[in-house]
Amino acid sequence: MTDKSPVIKVEHLQKSFGNNKVLKDINAEVNEGQVICLIGPSGAGKSTFLRCLNLLDQPSSGKVIFENKELTALSEDQLDQLREKMGMVFQQFNLFPHMSIIENIKLAPMKVKGMSSKDAEAKGLELLRQVGLEDKADAFPASLSGGQQQRVAIARALAMDPEVMLFDEPTSALDPEMVGEVLKVMQDLAQKGMTMVVVTHEMGFAKNVADEVWFMADGYIQEKAAPQQFFTQPQTQRAQDFLARVLEA
Amino acid sequence: MKKAWRLIEALLVTVLMLTIVPQKTSAADKQEARTDNYLRNVKRKGELVMGTSPDFPPYEFVKNVNGKSKVVGMDIEVGKKVARDMGVKLVVRTMDFDSLLVALETGKVDMVISGMDATPKRAQSVDFSRAYYKSGQNLLIRTEDQDKYHDYKSFAGKAIGAQTGSMQATLIKQQAKKSKLKTMDKDNDLVLGLKTHKFDAVAVDKATAEAFAKNTSGIMVIPSGFKVDSAGSAIAFHKGAKSLVKQANKSIAEIKQKDLINQKYLPKAGKYLAGGKSKKENKASNSMWAYKDFFIAGVGYTLFISAISVFFGFLLGAILAFMRLGRNQIARSVATAYIEFVRGTPLMVQLLFIYFGLGLIINIPALLSGIIAVSLNSAAYVAEVIRSGISSIAVGQTEASRSLGLSRTATMRYVIMPQAMKNIWPALGNEFVSLIKESSIVSVIGVKDLIYQSRIVQADTYRGVMPLVITMILYFIITFGLSSLMKVFERKMNHD
Ligand SMILES: Nc1ncnc2c1ncn2[C@@H]1O[C@H](COP(=O)(O)OP(=O)(O)OP(=O)(O)O)[C@@H](O)[C@H]1O
Ligand SMILES: [Mg+2]
Repeated sequence: MTDKSPVIKVEHLQKSFGNNKVLKDINAEVNEGQVICLIGPSGAGKSTFLRCLNLLDQPSSGKVIFENKELTALSEDQLDQLREKMGMVFQQFNLFPHMSIIENIKLAPMKVKGMSSKDAEAKGLELLRQVGLEDKADAFPASLSGGQQQRVAIARALAMDPEVMLFDEPTSALDPEMVGEVLKVMQDLAQKGMTMVVVTHEMGFAKNVADEVWFMADGYIQEKAAPQQFFTQPQTQRAQDFLARVLEA
Repeated sequence: MKKAWRLIEALLVTVLMLTIVPQKTSAADKQEARTDNYLRNVKRKGELVMGTSPDFPPYEFVKNVNGKSKVVGMDIEVGKKVARDMGVKLVVRTMDFDSLLVALETGKVDMVISGMDATPKRAQSVDFSRAYYKSGQNLLIRTEDQDKYHDYKSFAGKAIGAQTGSMQATLIKQQAKKSKLKTMDKDNDLVLGLKTHKFDAVAVDKATAEAFAKNTSGIMVIPSGFKVDSAGSAIAFHKGAKSLVKQANKSIAEIKQKDLINQKYLPKAGKYLAGGKSKKENKASNSMWAYKDFFIAGVGYTLFISAISVFFGFLLGAILAFMRLGRNQIARSVATAYIEFVRGTPLMVQLLFIYFGLGLIINIPALLSGIIAVSLNSAAYVAEVIRSGISSIAVGQTEASRSLGLSRTATMRYVIMPQAMKNIWPALGNEFVSLIKESSIVSVIGVKDLIYQSRIVQADTYRGVMPLVITMILYFIITFGLSSLMKVFERKMNHD
């Protein structure tokens, strides 16, 4: 992949659920190493957009191009192969409750990539060390705090060596005192050059870490700007109203 | 002369049969119209298959002969005579009285001899021979009441019992208008009802009444006083089987001329009834222990049917569940339709349909029909258990797994199923327990399961309650054993 061609390119993406047009016409590019923060009011379609990127939701029309491949045209098997290169972290963590932490992390490398149990274990432990949870390898998800579970979820996604990481409000379900530890892990990741698309309500994170802020409302990306510019001089009325409400709270 | 045809069941089965095999039926009609090959076919087979419902002593009943069950009685002797005169072997096939005429129509048996009266209504669907025996009507009462009752007129305002849908039931309704009619399915239950004061008399056929009175303490026979206009018991053949009717009438003429029934057949049946032993010995052989082999065989059949049905029911149920959860629209509709239809119709009808309805196309033996019906029925319930177990797992689990690159199948196998099993397992255990219990319905088509055997022991020993108690205990041991086993696995699973 050259520096010039974007990692992800979205063209005229539309997505409807029945008569409900959630995404109306989305056009966007994500370049290698970029950190995008996607913000916008509830119900704007941010999650839907993210899920269209790795085709957890099938777009109604338009194109999603990843690694020069048009995803909507691919077969199920080919999609599985591309999905492993897009890690995803969910608001509700979604760890597998019947597996220990290390088994959660080992599952995909072993079953998808055919890695040996020993190699997967070594890799998992290294990732756990990076997120500060090495000692929890044999614990089960239920015994971990929300912040710890989310860090495991990040480690689990990283175990597949993804090209891109997608985050859908990773800190929204957390108690306030645990938000920091998760954002810290994400910030470290950004610094190492990971390409990231982050849906978040953490304006501080967006200001400090994002390369670009996308503001989504009414089924469109209304504004794309550097954080400095977006937070000081929002262009659209929609964004100004939104910021006024969020920053006030 | 026992139960009349149960109209609704007959209609259902007939309608189902007609919708499935219209061509075949019309082919059979054509064959009838041309020539009658029935006698020729029987002779070529070398055997004459007789259908009967052996719970009706002394006409036909099952006897414990050296630990093996054997169908004996006056009708069997008649059947043997008819077969011998044709120069072929008699094969006796047993089933519920209700199922006999369908068995005849669908070619499962060549003739029916089962104390059956040649009523005009039955004659519409089958051809009857001449009557071979004409019995009278009697009432059974408790011996202690012998001074109170003389015939049906003594029972004004009281209840009289009779077999469901039987001629006796009709007689009570039409003639003993001042009495209440109580019906039950089996003669054994009626006698039991009499002894336990559920009613004060039981209307039965004369020969049957005498057999019961001889073998049951505390009851006796009195005249019924009914005015009867009965054609007598006759042999039923497939509609149009004139050659067989003609041949059978020859045998019957000889039976009548030599008075074989009174001179030979009834005494022989009576010997079986008394066990051919002194009274003391007879009592000993009526102890339940003497019938242990019956119960063992019944448990064997019940376990065999259940085990195979659980296996196939689970397999097919799992397939249906995945069809219903999958993305293929056709597969989904097929699975949904199947599940809804099977759960919306009684197992009884499904069983009769498979045995008789499909029997028109391929001849499926009773045991196999039973297994197929119970498996197919169970599959629908298992499918719902599995489906709801899977649906109860949060979608986030699937999304997390798919986002990691695991395929649909791998997601199901490593992420969803291990979690779903914890919900599915206990519900599956319940389903298997009810399968074992419901498998008892196969006795209707003559599969020799636990219920069937307990009926036989009841008829054979003239003891109504004890066989039921033993049967209940045996069912309980089986189902309790199974649910305990499931719990052990459940605990094991929760420890993992
Ligand atoms: N599977 C679905 N079926 C039907 N409608 C859906 C589905 N998923 C989302 N929607 C609808 O799409 C719209 C956008 O939802 P989405 O979750 O993408 O919004 P969001 O921007 O992520 O909001 P939030 O900040 O609350 O998470 C909502 O109106 C929602 O009801
Ligand atoms: Mg959302």
